[in-house]
Amino acid sequence: MLPSSRIPVTGLGVIAPGATGVGPFLDQLRTGRSGISPVKKFEVMPERATTAGLLNSFNAREFIPVLKMRRMNTLSRLGVSAMKLALADAGLEAFDSHRGDTGVALGTTFGPVQTSVEYLNEYVAKGASLAPPQLFAESVANAPGSHIAIEYGLKGFNLTFTQREASVLTSLLFAASQMIKGTVTRSVCGGIEEMNDITFSVLDRIGALARPCDEREEKCRPFDLHRDGMVVGEGGAIFLLETEEERQERGGKAYGYIAGFGIARDATASLSDWGSDAQAVVTSMRTAVEDADLDLAEIDAIFASANGSIRGDRLEYRAIQSLFGHNLPPVTAVKGYFGEYAAAGGLQLAAALLALREQFIPGTPGFESGEPEMHFRPVTHSESRPLRNVLVNSLSAGGGVVSCVLSAAT
Amino acid sequence: MRSSDANTRLAVTGLGIVCSIGCNQKEVWESITHSRAGIARLGSRLAGERFPTDLAAEVQENLAPLLKASKRELRRLSRTDLLALIAAQEAIGQCAFEGELPARTIVSTGTSTGGLLEGENYYFDRLVRGGWRTPASHVLQQPTSAPSDVVARFHGLRGGVFSNATACASAGAAIGLAGDLIRMGVADVAVAGGSDALCRTTYSGFNVLQAVDEEPCTPFGANRRGITLGEGAAYIVIEKWEQAQDRGAKILAELCGYGATCDAYHPTAPAEDGRGASAAMQAALSDGRERPEVEYVNAHGTGTQLNDSAETRAIMTTLGNDVPTSSTKSFFGHTLGASGALEAVVTVLALQHQLAPPTLRLTEAAADCVLDYVPHTPRPMRIDHALSNTFGFGGSNVSLLFRAAR
Repeated sequence: MLPSSRIPVTGLGVIAPGATGVGPFLDQLRTGRSGISPVKKFEVMPERATTAGLLNSFNAREFIPVLKMRRMNTLSRLGVSAMKLALADAGLEAFDSHRGDTGVALGTTFGPVQTSVEYLNEYVAKGASLAPPQLFAESVANAPGSHIAIEYGLKGFNLTFTQREASVLTSLLFAASQMIKGTVTRSVCGGIEEMNDITFSVLDRIGALARPCDEREEKCRPFDLHRDGMVVGEGGAIFLLETEEERQERGGKAYGYIAGFGIARDATASLSDWGSDAQAVVTSMRTAVEDADLDLAEIDAIFASANGSIRGDRLEYRAIQSLFGHNLPPVTAVKGYFGEYAAAGGLQLAAALLALREQFIPGTPGFESGEPEMHFRPVTHSESRPLRNVLVNSLSAGGGVVSCVLSAAT
Repeated sequence: MRSSDANTRLAVTGLGIVCSIGCNQKEVWESITHSRAGIARLGSRLAGERFPTDLAAEVQENLAPLLKASKRELRRLSRTDLLALIAAQEAIGQCAFEGELPARTIVSTGTSTGGLLEGENYYFDRLVRGGWRTPASHVLQQPTSAPSDVVARFHGLRGGVFSNATACASAGAAIGLAGDLIRMGVADVAVAGGSDALCRTTYSGFNVLQAVDEEPCTPFGANRRGITLGEGAAYIVIEKWEQAQDRGAKILAELCGYGATCDAYHPTAPAEDGRGASAAMQAALSDGRERPEVEYVNAHGTGTQLNDSAETRAIMTTLGNDVPTSSTKSFFGHTLGASGALEAVVTVLALQHQLAPPTLRLTEAAADCVLDYVPHTPRPMRIDHALSNTFGFGGSNVSLLFRAAR
């Protein structure tokens, strides 16, 4: 018999800017405290972007023995540490392999860029034949997934998705679909992202990042009238998925259920832009709600993809207004807590799952007032609210859209 | 959430390929039938670098004229994007939809490097000019999501985009998951494949891992010493069988299913007993409507000591000792993230032409490589079902199962 068509998320490992673990992350969301701060990790250009959501206090040594850590790059350390947190959160030390295979599907936007840079530094210093092989082996985007599989003996599929901002929702779609298909009985899913000076400076040079100006401080302002770009972030988020049967059998908790997905692509999008045809986002959201076998009226909140970019946010609020009309549920945009790309979309998903479990909606940091044609105000401060189902959007530059419906455990 | 329906038959209705032995399927198949490899001294693109070995399977042709695109469109594309677009253009052209492709057409691409070649150029430029004076526009295409995005953009596809970077298993995974998405009813058509351009990091990296043969690679050979690095791209068009029949499309083969597993053993080396590879083949055989007999295996067959021994064991465990198995990497090298797509296209061509491609230069097989590797020349034979294997760093294994269109 195939497993049921809703997959529970039974464990959560979160490494966010300024918050390691579910408790501190939840506290951030509830109190509206952002993890974004001035960049000290690398030099930034004068009169350009100066802030990011960086992992200033995270220490992988708390999770991984030093000898093992030496064989891992930053992304792999993030992945393995978040995995350890997720298992502990689920009340497990490891998966019981006698119950069947476990798959791994991770997401990352840029992959281990810093490892590639370090490899090239050695290539320049020592020559093409003497650069360290260990660095090359770690320069592949799927190294973190591989380390997680080796550490915990996970022999199911092991894929790494790289669909920019939508990387984690894409990995979640794949992992959940494989569990429904019956290929594996559990999946490890999630995302990891690091920020270095090259990625930051390229994004800044092309004008993608928010900057300080005379009247206003530099800030991530999702949906706001004065938004002028995104603030980037790094982080790790791991989600454990088990079949409902297994969860019930071992008495595990469920943050919520993965209930449906929608995908689409905006054909008007250029390669570095989200596009301007709201229809693709409408299609993605509507399909996700239908896939979850729900009506639009049963969606109690939308966790928007909005990141403070002028065109991307406009596209999304137009699509939300077009699909929901006058029956719009509360909308929140949480990237002001940790920045865009943080855990490749994984922290946004973690926020939505925590909201479902705790029955509240976190506020949208950075929002004050919207454009005249925007007919709704996003939730600005955390508020308690009964949530049955929430819709999570990921809009990626290049035009790809993935939407996911999560349902409460009750 | 929708589930995948194993009874949904998947038709392959388009193929596109560009690699060192040809810039389209006709040229590639002609090279294969004439046992003509595309391995030569490393060309001028990486000139000035001093690598321990100097062979590669590069695409020698000037790529820009092969693509119907304006100079403006071409300017910002990475070489990996360009290869992807050339292969996708051929595949989409062959599937012959009247007018536009359906709205729910997705693109799924596997690549290991994306625009890393251009990223390297940016890195070296920064060293000379400094970070704030180096133009950033030419690294916009660096992310590994770029090939899927450019293919979707050039062809106006609206169904969704999927990119994975799962090292050398990337393209096999891209094709497998695209098939699943059609079986789930999420997409009507998929343009699925992979692309990877040769770059300094991979050329140097496999050398420092001592995984590159100084001579053209000899998969399964007694004296094999490693891979020959290649580059290229390939895509296949997949759709529901009934849809292809209804619109009168020529069905080239059936994608019966796939299996994806992990060795969970070592970051770069395969498990010596081939257990993960065997599990991937078993999963592919179980993924379709019925478990078939397999008549041909297009092996991962890289030419490294570890892979070829482990893969031979895996094939013996899964299929026995008698199934003809060859490595077409002996023609076009190891194209890394694209290899699963190139070899899927070659496998479909083998099914169409009922001809097993050979393993070139295999004068003496290694003592532990005891299968029938179809040495030197292609072999006409009946092939109903064929497996195409791709394995990658991190122990990721993907096996695709195709069936002749009858």
